[in-house]
Amino acid sequence: MKAARFTLCGVALVMLLLGSRMRSWAQNVTYDRILHAADHPEDWLTYGGNYASQRFSPLKQINKQNVNSLKLSWIYQLRRTGIAESSPIVADGLMYITEPPTTVTALDVRTGRPVWRWTADLPKDLLTIGLFPTNRGVAILGDTVYVATIDAHLVALDAKTGIVRWRSEVGNNKEGVAITQAPMAINGKIVVGMGGGEAGLRGYIDAYDAKDGRRLWRLYTVPTTGEPGVETWEGDSYKWGGATTWNTGAYDPESNTIYWGTGNPAPDWNGDARKGDNLYSCTLLAIDADTGTLKWYFQFSPHETHDWDSAEPPILFDATVNGKPRKIVAQANRNAFYYVLDRVTGEFITGQAYAKQTWAKGLDAKGRPIGLPDTEPSTKGTLVYPSITGGVNWTSSSYSPLTGLFYVNTREQGAYYYKGRPTIQPANPADVGGGGGEKILNGDAAYSAVRALEGTTGNRKWEFRMIGDSWTGTLVTAGGLVFCADANGVFFALDADTGKPLWNIQLGNSVRANPITYSVDGKQYVEASAGNSISVFSLP
Amino acid sequence: MRLARILVAARVALCCSGFIGIQLAMAQTPPPPPPPHAPHPKATPESIAQGKALFEGTCAVCHGIDGSGANGPNIREAAVTMGSEGLYARIRGGPIGSGMPAFTTLEDAQVWVIIDYVSSLGHEGGSIATGDPAKGKVVYDANGCAKCHTIAMRGGDLGPDLSKIGTMRGTIMLQRIMTDPGGNLPIDTSLVERAAYPAYLIYRAVTRQGHIIEGMRVDEDTFSIQLRDSDGRLHSVNKFDVNELKPEPGKSFMPSYKDKLTESQLNDLIAYLSGLGGAQ
Repeated sequence: MKAARFTLCGVALVMLLLGSRMRSWAQNVTYDRILHAADHPEDWLTYGGNYASQRFSPLKQINKQNVNSLKLSWIYQLRRTGIAESSPIVADGLMYITEPPTTVTALDVRTGRPVWRWTADLPKDLLTIGLFPTNRGVAILGDTVYVATIDAHLVALDAKTGIVRWRSEVGNNKEGVAITQAPMAINGKIVVGMGGGEAGLRGYIDAYDAKDGRRLWRLYTVPTTGEPGVETWEGDSYKWGGATTWNTGAYDPESNTIYWGTGNPAPDWNGDARKGDNLYSCTLLAIDADTGTLKWYFQFSPHETHDWDSAEPPILFDATVNGKPRKIVAQANRNAFYYVLDRVTGEFITGQAYAKQTWAKGLDAKGRPIGLPDTEPSTKGTLVYPSITGGVNWTSSSYSPLTGLFYVNTREQGAYYYKGRPTIQPANPADVGGGGGEKILNGDAAYSAVRALEGTTGNRKWEFRMIGDSWTGTLVTAGGLVFCADANGVFFALDADTGKPLWNIQLGNSVRANPITYSVDGKQYVEASAGNSISVFSLP
Repeated sequence: MRLARILVAARVALCCSGFIGIQLAMAQTPPPPPPPHAPHPKATPESIAQGKALFEGTCAVCHGIDGSGANGPNIREAAVTMGSEGLYARIRGGPIGSGMPAFTTLEDAQVWVIIDYVSSLGHEGGSIATGDPAKGKVVYDANGCAKCHTIAMRGGDLGPDLSKIGTMRGTIMLQRIMTDPGGNLPIDTSLVERAAYPAYLIYRAVTRQGHIIEGMRVDEDTFSIQLRDSDGRLHSVNKFDVNELKPEPGKSFMPSYKDKLTESQLNDLIAYLSGLGGAQ
């Protein structure tokens, strides 16, 4: 039997490869594998670690008892400098990272050596209005890696070689559309949002055919004439309403629903010309993944004027609330409130402030904020907590099904908000009107803290305070550890139950990304991106 | 008016998706040389006022309403570190990778008044010294200022180098510092990542063994703090390994000269310092 012998040869070869600790790269990340990511904790297959966006890893080789002996395994120095905010994908022996503004690099996970690199050709007159030219990561599906470019294209790259397979325009960069987020790969589709809300445009979220890049659907986040919700915008203001979709969301395969947050209404700081709730800005959208239709929405900050986008990655989990099992979507919002919603119906279950805020008395029974007077931006400046950067910004929170805790890296910081004269026109980036500005209380007047909130209530269980204005997401593991970093380059591990610091290392520059973990050859690694480098740690 | 619209266009709000902190804003490719341009006219109170209005509409969104930094870096002393031509190039060129756009549609006159305003920020509190700089140098030498301060590469290093202090501080601020140094700590410009913090802030640490360290904060992260004591010695302190660690706001290693100098001596000293670095 020739075929059988051939197979045996193949097995022998694989054994030989493993025996000599060599590694071959298969690169076939099926949808089924991503669905069952929890069964394959050695990989990190989506931006949020799983579709629920929990940034929870079942790996526990590194744990509370041994984390203090964590050692550096390798460092990769980015070849492209700038603002590095990439959250890696790890699959089949390769780590896919992005370098600013849009370079994808595949690294050998065991050594950090680059296997291939691809850089987008960008226009010389690239527009990045209201955002910095960086990239937060790729998506993977099958044998293909997907990246959204800063000039608003979605590009499919061969996962083994980096060869371009297709390229589709998501938006017109000449009109100010730019993308920094990692796309999301679901069954046969690549879902991606966009940024540029200060450029005078309406936000949207798209799905593309993973095979050929054909656009399958588009959902606008600001309704137009004749559509429900347009009455929440005064006059023509909906035409440049913003509400972009600039961060990665979550997905519930069971109900085939995409959960995605939207950004602020435009212009910022001055809402006089856009009176109304301004749907669907600062909102969580529940979207049918097949059709792109809106199933339900929950608006966190109606008629928002402090630039508190609601783009923070939502987290899905199941838990018992008041004796009833509930399917939950939770978000620590930039407006400093933590929200627990029913992810099937969008019903508000509960919510409370998780960071200092001075703009709302609280939330009403439906979760709508009860605003306080004299908190609007003014020509003289109004001091309000949180600052423009929010209780949390784009960095991801995490949730552990083992502790039931939601880990958010937040900041206690206020800002003086100033109101200006907005002038903004549809699809004309030359007419960007900020409508004001702000002065942030920083330095010793502010601090960051990792806070553990009870997932179903938002009650704070513990906090770990940090110096400075940290821009790092959290990672939680079955080893009982929470990883995060401060603004000054210290990457550290905390006890997930108590917040006690168990290990730290100074990496020499701030960590401005979400850490991840994976394992290879039976060894667990933890990754952190500091400055313009990627560092990976493991036990000796 | 096209021009007015473009100005507003320049109010680029670095407000939404993931913006950078101060340290990364600085890590960028040098801008290309600026195109030939009209020379910088002399600053006047009017030009500074015009520049203030333009700054607040165009630059404040990122650099803060008073230039002390928001999502973009603190630029209150940018005129000192970069000079007006450097600022001109930066405004026109828009450093690659920083998120700062190139303001190519501003007229030269508008760029210059913005620069006039930015240059005035470091002089907050006025810049007209009334004393005699030559007598002020005598006061400086006689009071041992050089034990802690350097001018033109000579002197001590406990306090800041004063070689360019005239371009960095206005006279009122100099007077405030000399009469109440601990209450007027400057922003730390020694390290870019410290730019939001006061420099020379004194901390008191009590070690597990009961040893007391009192020193100026040089740097700090969540787990450690670096202090410099009054003898200039550096101490690296593990925050989780001390019994006590507290800032002492209002305190300074520099004594107050409020009652040590006469009013005319103080004015002379301020006149001397105001002239350092090519100002006045």
